[in-house]
Amino acid sequence: MVNVVVIALILFAVWTGWRVFRVDSMVRASFSLMLSFIAVGGVGVVLSMPYIGVATVFMMAVEMMAMAIFMVAFMMNPAGLNPMMMVHQHKFSVGAGVLAWLGLSTAVLSAELPSAPVTSEQRVVFDLGIELLGPSMLIFETAGVTLLATMVGAVILSSREGRYGHADHGSRPPGLAEGGDPAGRVPDEGGGHHHHHHGGH
Amino acid sequence: MIWLLLTVPVTLAVGVWLAATFDRLAPALWGARAGGPVAALRDGALLLRRQTVRTEAPDDLNRRLAPVVYLALAAIGLSVVPVTHAAPIESPVGIVIWGSCEALTIIAVFLHGWSPNAPFPLIGAYRYAAIALPVMLPSMFVLIAAALPAESLSVTAIVESQREVWNVVRQPLGLALFLLVGLTLTQRGPFDFADGADIAGGTSAEDSGAGRALWQLARLAMLTAFSAMAAALFLGGPLGPGLPGPVWLWLKTAAIMALTVLLGHGIARTTPGRMLTLLWIVALPVSFLHLAVSGGLALW
Repeated sequence: MVNVVVIALILFAVWTGWRVFRVDSMVRASFSLMLSFIAVGGVGVVLSMPYIGVATVFMMAVEMMAMAIFMVAFMMNPAGLNPMMMVHQHKFSVGAGVLAWLGLSTAVLSAELPSAPVTSEQRVVFDLGIELLGPSMLIFETAGVTLLATMVGAVILSSREGRYGHADHGSRPPGLAEGGDPAGRVPDEGGGHHHHHHGGH
Repeated sequence: MIWLLLTVPVTLAVGVWLAATFDRLAPALWGARAGGPVAALRDGALLLRRQTVRTEAPDDLNRRLAPVVYLALAAIGLSVVPVTHAAPIESPVGIVIWGSCEALTIIAVFLHGWSPNAPFPLIGAYRYAAIALPVMLPSMFVLIAAALPAESLSVTAIVESQREVWNVVRQPLGLALFLLVGLTLTQRGPFDFADGADIAGGTSAEDSGAGRALWQLARLAMLTAFSAMAAALFLGGPLGPGLPGPVWLWLKTAAIMALTVLLGHGIARTTPGRMLTLLWIVALPVSFLHLAVSGGLALW
């Protein structure tokens, strides 16, 4: 029974992981990836790791929501509803993917996997606490600070207000026609090299 | 075991009706005409009879899934709340399951606004995501603080730890902060950035017929689940003298629900930008202080 559930969850994780590259929007891709992670979290729950499994679900939900927003913002794909291609450098990616798959499969198949079944009475949360604040503390703290720096960097990159004024000061949207008036907002005074005078300015 | 599971749909059904009735009673507070106990049922039946309108090029899968997921999250969240000495889904990490339901709610609401491919729902979706994500931080601190006296992540153990004194006495700030979370999860009043009237109904601006009815039902179901969870975390859940456990839980759930509805109708909504500042500058440090004080008390 446990085996059937685990295999079903893993197949779902692989399928949703594959969908990440087949859908045509950053929003759909982000949430496909989230479903994949949730299925992996489900495997954790079935294999007597309730805390890690359920924590994966809420971490991935928050993370993928933030990722969907940032990806749509950085990909210049308004709202994420415009169809876009999710893959590029096809030949290189296929080669890299096959190589990585072969390498990981070799590693998994050749590794000596430990056989230590976890009973449902095991105090997994307690054990995790000891692990986090014991021998692995340096690794987790390093990863934590790196992630925090990444988040702060992403917020700074996407913020309009900054120490040296607005990030889009003087920026100029592309013209609707070649060399024509810019689409949307008219840039501020002293901005772009062309200078159009409009009534009411 | 079976009857424990059966309490979930029953509590949800009664809770949805009660919440909808509270919503229709609230206008009486400022002298407007209030609706009776049948008004909610009539409104729901009327919605079901309306035709469904389709937007141009929507994401049909997510559009159908969003209300269903929202409702399912309410049901899962409610089933980790202990009805007597056990919860319908008894888990050593019940509070983390509830936290996951909270986080996934943001995605259900976001996809509900994103999928119709229309401007107002989309604005509601992004506005809601921007506000609800920072609300998750105080929420996690409140949940961790509530788990500290019990030294367990199981909701049943958290209820058991309140046999002497309720958490609302030990951690009054916790309930106040958790109510903000509840207003966000159910898109109410000051935190209704998803479906607000200022953007023509936001994520449900393009909803009609049965889909609209299901979305409103899911919102009320989430209010029921949130109220039950708040009752278990801060008011001792099913603990109480005389009456049987489930009755105490339902009474406390109804009290929290009435309070949430009251706050939702009574507090004005500010602009998203100002709310974002309030959340990061005020709510987050306050919740961190709350966690530190609760931790100190638990050790002492």
